[in-house]
Amino acid sequence: MAPPDNDVLFSRSLHYSYGTTPALAGVSLGVGEGEVLAVDGPRGSGKTTLLRCLSGQLKPEQGEVWFNSGAVHTLSAARRERLRLTRFGWIDTRPELVPELRAWENAALPLLLAGESHRRARKAAGEWLDRLDAGDLMKARPRSLTPAQAQRVAIARALVHEPAVVFADEPTAALHTMEGAQVLRTLIAACRSHGVTTVVASHLHQAVDLADRVVTLVDGRVRGTAVRTPRPTAEDSCSLSV
Amino acid sequence: MLALRLARGARPGATLRRLLVAGASAGVGFLLLAALGQASVPWLLWCAVPMAAVTHFAVVVARTDPYARPTAVQAAAGFGPVNVPVLAAVSTLVSCLAGSAVGLLFFLHLRGEIAGLPFDGAAAGLLGAGGPLPPAAALTLLVVPPVLAAGASAFGLRPVAAAPAPSGDRAAGLSAPGDLPWGAALVATGLAIGAYASRSGAGGGLGELSPAVLGSWGVIALGMVLAGPGMTYLAGRALCVLRPGALRLFAGRVLLEEARRIGRPLGALSAVGAGILVTLQAGGQGPRLGPIVVTGAGLVVGCAVATVLIAALETRGVRADTTAALRRLGTPAGVLRGAVALRAAALVAVFGPAVVLVAQLAVLPLR
Repeated sequence: MAPPDNDVLFSRSLHYSYGTTPALAGVSLGVGEGEVLAVDGPRGSGKTTLLRCLSGQLKPEQGEVWFNSGAVHTLSAARRERLRLTRFGWIDTRPELVPELRAWENAALPLLLAGESHRRARKAAGEWLDRLDAGDLMKARPRSLTPAQAQRVAIARALVHEPAVVFADEPTAALHTMEGAQVLRTLIAACRSHGVTTVVASHLHQAVDLADRVVTLVDGRVRGTAVRTPRPTAEDSCSLSV
Repeated sequence: MLALRLARGARPGATLRRLLVAGASAGVGFLLLAALGQASVPWLLWCAVPMAAVTHFAVVVARTDPYARPTAVQAAAGFGPVNVPVLAAVSTLVSCLAGSAVGLLFFLHLRGEIAGLPFDGAAAGLLGAGGPLPPAAALTLLVVPPVLAAGASAFGLRPVAAAPAPSGDRAAGLSAPGDLPWGAALVATGLAIGAYASRSGAGGGLGELSPAVLGSWGVIALGMVLAGPGMTYLAGRALCVLRPGALRLFAGRVLLEEARRIGRPLGALSAVGAGILVTLQAGGQGPRLGPIVVTGAGLVVGCAVATVLIAALETRGVRADTTAALRRLGTPAGVLRGAVALRAAALVAVFGPAVVLVAQLAVLPLR
């Protein structure tokens, strides 16, 4: 059965378990184009597993994942890898930068891996680092960055190849509250201004106020969905990107 | 006791590495006893070379052990970095002592003092059967390699003070190791000593070679070990020139980062390679290749190769998190494998010619 046309990303009845411990027990949700969806819930509620299933890192045991009207759950591992590299961006809880590469090389990694020329990759990475207030870190090594700076570089890496969907798995959990809030605002403002569909997992309701819609997971099931109305306008999002 | 419990529950890979250490230690014990059986002091001194190789190997194996990098949780439970050297020393001591015991049994068996097995006394003449074997001297010799290896392992895994606030390339470990000039100078000195000593030409060393020539080879080998990290760094630098793509970046930058870890074993391996080349080319002028020499040389070569492989394994373990993160981004496995192959090719391209050159220069005065 084909998914609804208006959703870029769509899952139906996802099941996944680690050994005998179920992590997802029938999660169905859809994400519209350009929408910012927050997945909220306590630790262990299945947020990370849901994001990994949606982004094609994990193959669900049951259920379906559709992206742009194409089935993801039936693709081979190599095709899902290619999809992640070209159409998706991924931001982890920890920045997970490659320690040997400079900040701009880390940010440009998806382009370099796709075979883009050195000059264009560097230019794109520089532009994104500028947009994320990290333009002066171009040549820094990851070990000399603060966690917040490193996470900004990781965000640039997730956006540099202009993906259709960005997944952020608790991107601010390792940061101080103030820094974390600022990084999250910067991320969501950047995604909105470029029309990138965003799925962000967060606990402690950090992303709830910034998202268009919030899905709450508890024990691997969708406990509730809240739509925030009205959706913030472009001016609002600009004013947020301090 | 904790070390024994950990050893009992270890994974097959870790157990295999420990067994390799025990086997190498058995080989050294056997060589030491053979020297004692012949009552030859030069032979005993020559055993320092395999002993050094085995000690180095044991340290690298101890560094690769799963407990060598305790997690924060383990440290919180009281099993922190301070305990690691003790554990490393004990487990290295145990495996090396077991190896020494095997070496003793093997020696006595080949000497013909333990009856009832095949090859009884097969090397009785070579191992000085009939002559006395002072038990105290034998036991002392057998304890030397385990104690050395255990001490070196504890030293190699001592907790280091936290580094000061990082800044720039030096903090990232990407600065060039400073040993390359020293290594090159030592190699040149060794070559000069060899050339000078072979003119004066006196016997008394191993085979037809004078002690001075052999000493010069030692200096050359030391120089190559010292130069290893610098040469690894150079290989990494060469990979990263001229606007590298992802493949060359992964291959080259990792070599820069890991130059210190894998450079020394690579330097040792290339010194061993140069030694083999010299021995093969020197012909009748070189050392006499008796069974004992072949055993010792085999032990040194085996240890050098195994040390390089295990250092590479350690590097892979250290980088496992980064590799997993890259895979999450969708980096194809082929790119990562290609980077490994490129790295190996670059190392061969840098070390291979250097080995051949040094061997040619070292063998020149012998012709």
